[in-house]
Amino acid sequence: MEENPLHPFELQNYIPISLGGLDISINKAVIMMWVVVTLVTLLMVMASSARKLVPGKLQSLAEILVDFIRGIIMDTMGKDGMRFFPLIATLFLFILFCNLLGLVPGTYTVTSQIVVTAVFAITVYGLSLVLGLVLHGIKFLPGILIPPGTPWWLVPLMVPIEFVSQVARPVSLAVRLFANMTAGHTILGVLFGLTISGGLLIGWLPFAFSVAMNGLELGIAFIQAYIFTVLTCVYLGDAFHLHGSEDHAH
Amino acid sequence: MPPSQDPFYAGLGQAVRIGTELLAALIVGGGVGWAIDNYLLESGPWGMVGGLILGAIAGVRNAYRSAQQWPKS
Repeated sequence: MEENPLHPFELQNYIPISLGGLDISINKAVIMMWVVVTLVTLLMVMASSARKLVPGKLQSLAEILVDFIRGIIMDTMGKDGMRFFPLIATLFLFILFCNLLGLVPGTYTVTSQIVVTAVFAITVYGLSLVLGLVLHGIKFLPGILIPPGTPWWLVPLMVPIEFVSQVARPVSLAVRLFANMTAGHTILGVLFGLTISGGLLIGWLPFAFSVAMNGLELGIAFIQAYIFTVLTCVYLGDAFHLHGSEDHAH
Repeated sequence: MPPSQDPFYAGLGQAVRIGTELLAALIVGGGVGWAIDNYLLESGPWGMVGGLILGAIAGVRNAYRSAQQWPKS
């Protein structure tokens, strides 16, 4: 049994499509994304179709989710942030369902592809830059590059440091989600491989571990979606309140 | 689904952030330095050395900044 534990992350094209040199073939990840989008849309549409004062099961679930996202936004951005509710709710639900559905054996975890997470992270960071430029004008750029209260002789040192720390934001956003998902599924793959090669005599031990890891992965799937959403809110909130955002958050 | 104000989940979220905060700034600093070395100035290893140092400083600064947002208890 020599199975590469990273093998499940490789993608085979089911239907090769090429559009002007651009590879838009349909593979497992694309199908999983369609499944996730369909599921989230169905859940939300069905839950809100019969709006009752006393909610049923589905409506309660949707209400808890919406209330949860609303809580994150109100905590980090305040009332201004509510106009970004559609974006943030979409991001949260998509990432959460990708993470959770990826734990079902035989499916694919879309968020374990750095392309996907990087696109999300760059979109969020780009949006926060555009938002800051629109709200504060061109003085937004020196505003984020020079922290308030910097003496003039430190400016040549602080600007490169702040530049790196700003560029690190989307990178850390993308790498965190991608690395957590990949690492978790690799560990699960290794444990299952050990189970098979261990046989009945000792194989139950890694199998028991893999069960425990699955529980941990459920938690990580939720926590990672939560962190991505919170950081999205924090970055957008920083663009809203240039400086002074650190003491308003809590 | 816990409420987002739940201190346990808020704390867990903060804790998981710190590590990648450090790492990402190092990647960016080293990457920028490497790009300057190879494409802009051909300045030997010094761009990357400076970039890594900048990245380390920026990483610590980012970690410090995110630790400042911890809920006070």
